[in-house]
Parts: sequence; structure tokens; C-alpha cells
Amino acid sequence: MGNLQRIFYYHLPQVILSFVFPYLNLGASLLYLFWRSRSLNPKNGERALAADAFALASAEVTVLYASVGLATGMLWGRAAWGIWWTWDARLTTYLLLWLLYVSYLLLRQFSAAGQTAVLSAVLAIFAAVDIPICYMSIRWWRTQHPAPVFAGGADSGIDPGMYPAVWWNMAAWAMWGVFVLGLRYAIERRRQRQSEDDALGSLSAAPEAQ
Amino acid sequence: MIPFHTLSQRHLVFAYCAVWLLQFGYGVWLAVQWRKTRR
Repeated sequence: MGNLQRIFYYHLPQVILSFVFPYLNLGASLLYLFWRSRSLNPKNGERALAADAFALASAEVTVLYASVGLATGMLWGRAAWGIWWTWDARLTTYLLLWLLYVSYLLLRQFSAAGQTAVLSAVLAIFAAVDIPICYMSIRWWRTQHPAPVFAGGADSGIDPGMYPAVWWNMAAWAMWGVFVLGLRYAIERRRQRQSEDDALGSLSAAPEAQ
Repeated sequence: MIPFHTLSQRHLVFAYCAVWLLQFGYGVWLAVQWRKTRR
């Protein structure tokens, strides 16, 4: 495969991380629904808003990592197999994962303001069902995609000389993922506070207008 | 020199470009959004 195998060092960490971030999205969505149901306590209302912001941030980072996983996978497939795409079990379930989280972001963008958080939290629960199916697809159905690198049985694994580059890339992209996730969360919290301030500002300005 | 001699080497360079454009393009977009939102 020559130099082409170097795609592996980017492709593998990005795809593994794109299986991790959706679980953060699921956890934040469940917490949002839990705290929302107990929002008579003002602290829980604030916690629900924070969980919703975290769910949005983790969904965006999921789409980012899955997009890179798809792009590098297709480029690798074109050079190694001679085709850009095939409806193999892993590729199909991974495309579905990408589409589910893109639809999550579109739902947040275009739904009515009061319903956005609840609808997207429910969609996040259904979307998370695809992650274990996608992860297990190369164990359950042996088609075009290579066998698992880690925890795939006796015949799986890579040359020991490849591990340092794999682990360094995994650590670096995980740290970058945590950084962009944290920054996106902080931006969304700022937006939420800005909306609250604007709403309070228009309420206090209303009597003056009469 | 960028190794553009073979199909596989060309696709390796495209893959590097895809990774860095998507990841750091998103990072730049976040930095712009951070500046746009007030404290």
C-alpha cells in the first residue's frame, strides 16, 4: 500500500472518536429531559439549559469527526479498492450515523423555538441506537471494510511498530475534540444568556412603550 | 516536493487536506462565533 497507509493514522482515531462523542450527546440529552421534568426548582432549569448546550456541542463535534472519517475513508477506498463507495455494512451504518447527526443539527436549526430542545433530545436517543450497530458491523458482517484493528479476535491487530503513531494521533485528536467541544459549549451558553438578557430587556421596556 | 506521482500518493495528500481543512476550518469558525457573542 506504500505511503497510502498513512491515511490510517488519521482515519482510525477520527472514526473511534466519532463513536465516543455521540454518547456524550446521549448522556446530555437524557440529563436535559431529567432536569426539565424537575424544573420547578430553578437550579434544575439552569442545569437543563447547560445540558442542552452540551448536547448541541457534542452533536456538532460528532458531525465534524464523522465527516473527516467519511472523507478519509472514501479517499482511502478509491486508492486501495478502486471505488469511492460501496454499500458495505460498516460504510452504510456509518453514513446513517452521519445523516442522523446532521438531521439532529438541522432539526435544531429549523424547529419552533420552544420545542427545539425536547425534540432534539428525543432524536438523540434514537440516533444513539446506530452507534453500537455501526461499531459491531465489521464483526457481525464480513464484507468490504477491513476487519477490526482492536478487540477483533485472534486475526486482528496491526504491526507493533504502528502503535506509537496510532496512540499519539488518538491522544492529539481526542484533546483537540475536547477543546472544540468545550469552546462550542461555552459559545452556546453565552448565546443562551444573551437570549435571556434580550427577553428580560424587552419585558422591562414594555411598560415604557405603553 | 508533494508526492503526486501515483494515484495512491495523490489521495494521501487529498486526505491530509480534508482532515486539516475540516478540523481547523471548524476551529476558525468557532473562534469567529466566540468573538461575535458578547459576555
